[in-house]
Amino acid sequence: MSNGVTAYLVRLRHNALPTTLRVIGVAVLLAILLYLPYVLQFRSIFGVRLSNMQLLNIGLSQVNLTLISIIGAVSLNYLTGCAGLVSVGHAAFFALGSMVAAATGMHLKLPFLATLVAAMLAGAMAGVVAGLPSLRVRGLYFVLSTLAIHFIVVFVFAEYQYAFHDVTGVAVGDAKIGSFEIDSGIKWYFFLLPITVLSCLLMRNTLFHREGRAVLAMRDNELAAAAAGIDVRILKLKVFAFSSAFASLAGALQAYYLSNVAAEMYSLNFAIQFIAIIIVGGMGTIGGGVIGAIVWLLLPSILMGAATEVKSGPGDFASFLLAHRPQIVNLIFGSIVALILIFAPHGIAGFLRPLWQRMIGGLPWRGRT
Amino acid sequence: MLSQFIFSGLALGSIYGLVALGFTVIYKATQVFNFAQGMLMVCGAYFAVTASIHLGLPFPLTIAFILVGAGILGIAIYFLLIKPLGGQALLPMIMITIALSIILRAVIELIYGGAPLTLRLPLPSGVFVLGDVRISQLHVTAAVVSWLCMLLFIVFFRRSRAGLLMRATADGYEAAVLSGIRVDRINAAAWAIGTMLAAIGGVFLCQLQLVSVELENIGLLALPAVVIGGLQSVPGAILGGLLVGLIEQLASGYISPKARDIFIYVPLLLILFIRPWGLFGQKELGRV
Amino acid sequence: MMSPCNHESLLSVAGLSVSYGGKALVLSGIDLSVGKGEIVAILGANGAGKTTLIRAISGLLKLHGGAILAGQIKIGADDTTRLAPETIVRLGLGQVPEGRLVFKNLTVEENLDVGAAVLPREKGRRTMAAVYHLFPRLAERRTQLAGLMSGGEQQMLALGRALASSPRLILVDELSLGLAPLIVRDIYAQFKTIRSEFGTSMLIVEQNARLALDVSERAYVLERGEVVLSGLSADVATSARIHESYLGVQAEASHG
Repeated sequence: MSNGVTAYLVRLRHNALPTTLRVIGVAVLLAILLYLPYVLQFRSIFGVRLSNMQLLNIGLSQVNLTLISIIGAVSLNYLTGCAGLVSVGHAAFFALGSMVAAATGMHLKLPFLATLVAAMLAGAMAGVVAGLPSLRVRGLYFVLSTLAIHFIVVFVFAEYQYAFHDVTGVAVGDAKIGSFEIDSGIKWYFFLLPITVLSCLLMRNTLFHREGRAVLAMRDNELAAAAAGIDVRILKLKVFAFSSAFASLAGALQAYYLSNVAAEMYSLNFAIQFIAIIIVGGMGTIGGGVIGAIVWLLLPSILMGAATEVKSGPGDFASFLLAHRPQIVNLIFGSIVALILIFAPHGIAGFLRPLWQRMIGGLPWRGRT
Repeated sequence: MLSQFIFSGLALGSIYGLVALGFTVIYKATQVFNFAQGMLMVCGAYFAVTASIHLGLPFPLTIAFILVGAGILGIAIYFLLIKPLGGQALLPMIMITIALSIILRAVIELIYGGAPLTLRLPLPSGVFVLGDVRISQLHVTAAVVSWLCMLLFIVFFRRSRAGLLMRATADGYEAAVLSGIRVDRINAAAWAIGTMLAAIGGVFLCQLQLVSVELENIGLLALPAVVIGGLQSVPGAILGGLLVGLIEQLASGYISPKARDIFIYVPLLLILFIRPWGLFGQKELGRV
Repeated sequence: MMSPCNHESLLSVAGLSVSYGGKALVLSGIDLSVGKGEIVAILGANGAGKTTLIRAISGLLKLHGGAILAGQIKIGADDTTRLAPETIVRLGLGQVPEGRLVFKNLTVEENLDVGAAVLPREKGRRTMAAVYHLFPRLAERRTQLAGLMSGGEQQMLALGRALASSPRLILVDELSLGLAPLIVRDIYAQFKTIRSEFGTSMLIVEQNARLALDVSERAYVLERGEVVLSGLSADVATSARIHESYLGVQAEASHG
């Protein structure tokens, strides 16, 4: 069991690529990330027009929503994958974040950025409360306590919505920093990208520090961690607060991006999506959350694009596909999740990593203790 | 008013109890916390649609079709999804049932379309008035059949050899295989029975409401029911179901239909804090 | 060193090598046999590989993350090397596992019923009657929950459950663990009766070497995954090697 922790730390160390390659890699990645919104906005690359299918039917708004979801997925992966606290209540913190952002903006007239901070603070506090059952119960019983918290928060959200807004949802104010308004896809992209990257780096870096190692140790063997002098109870609450703060941030950002959110959005399925994301991406690593979110959010567009393409061919099957796109997408997703669970328990990140390492000529990360 | 709510609460609660019982059977045998239980219930309703509308079968054959279909479905789920995952950690086991429910929902919508359907089975449907309580015969039938099924299951579980082997397997996996029990068969049987119980519940629910995949949300109430009752306890599941049915009817009758969830999940949270092993369960489970 | 064995071989293990998770060998090249009607003991200190050997024979290795790398295990004429444990039980290998593992929430009668469930009903009833005859204490507690009984009674029940399946051979793993010496002696005293009444051979794994050597005809001594000594129990008991390396340690341990 404790081997797991050692292996993980060794893995982290060996992950370091040669410095020059790292610099080049980061630079290329950065260039792609900076140019990407223009490609998607103007549907052309270096002046050459691209067809919809060459862009995989992906638009800028899907990318923006993916950036927001990455924060949510990585924060859940931090809680569940790294700290071992399984939660089906992640949607609750999204709901809380958007509610607090809307409420502090409307009733307290706080500016945009301040409402984001307020959402994070509220998320952290609610995280501590939601984490309290973990001191008393664990395993399945803890999962159920997060389920209960989900329904309670969504109920409160609905009550707030009906009291101060209307059935169509909670209208969220404009995203304004000073007099500068974030009102276009590209502006949103350049606002969200640094926030997402910073959030991921922050969560990743905590894992390298003493406390982060304690978190991993706690997941691998709670009793042993406690015996090694880690205050498991406090640590669980901290992890919960930290993860929930980022989930609430993601919720608030999503609310501003969509400008109108309703209680029905935050269903159990919403929370389940995030669990599916980290399973598909890979449990327990930041990269897993990122990859999972990208696959999960962009695949539907790609599939629907493909279905549209198929339509131009003959046959009843194509029109059947087209008429049932959401069902087909769900069917494929459900099957992917099941197949990954059975055949690739470490998710996409799990089998990408060795490939990546081999390509770069680094050390294989498996089998080292 | 009160007696009206209590009557309909108990009737609905009997159906929940039946679905929750199916859940407990599966959990006891395979330690799988089945988030798809609500969807299995929905499958029961659509089996009824297939048999009665699409195949035009007479009522007794419709019932047989539902039971056989549910049994086969349960066995298939066990061998295709649960067994390959064999004894993994909590989250994968939960997630596979969630994936199952996503898949089932998609398949149902592909075959039957997303719109709700109306299905009329030849069940008693009149209403008679007793004092100030309007008693719907459908509610009474649902409750009576649910109780009969639960009774039948308990007799099977307590008295038959297969039931004995099922209880033994639930008691300890290693001891079971070392006693020569073919655990796979027992587990598959448990999934078959759990699915059948859910399907019967689904048939009644789709008579009280329309047939649609949204019935799943009602089926999900089996989760708090089993936890309130005690995860491992067969009578606990039934009583938990009754309790949830009562709470639901009283809360939506006296306060508002939206208040239902809060009155079910706040007590659930309290029970997790005070008596995590449930009202009727055994103490040793799940504590820190 | 192999002792002559005139009996027909009921269990034979040949060249068995086992490891967990592809790491170092826990057992290497074990040869062992149990003849019809024999009581054979396996001795060894902690970590010698006794439990692994039992798991390999009973088919439980996979469950514990181990794998058979080489060798063969046969029960009678059947090759059971990689069969599932429940199939092996059905081929006539009764199990009295370490830690007893009775069904705690089932009554005594139900526990025995489970054991007899591999037999046709009528035959099962007869073997259960024979078990009750052998352990009258179990008959007295028929309707009691197994989990509420004393350790000694649970051990009797575990033994009874194995016998109820009318096995050709039973594996008894660490029977004395956590039990009072007097009770252990009582149960071991029954072994010769069990053999004569049920016609069952026995393979006993035991920490307490003296007890095991008393009750068995032949014995194998394991050390670091290999058979280092085997022969008639009486010879093994007087062998200098076992006195030094094993019984000596035992004596010290029991004084400390």
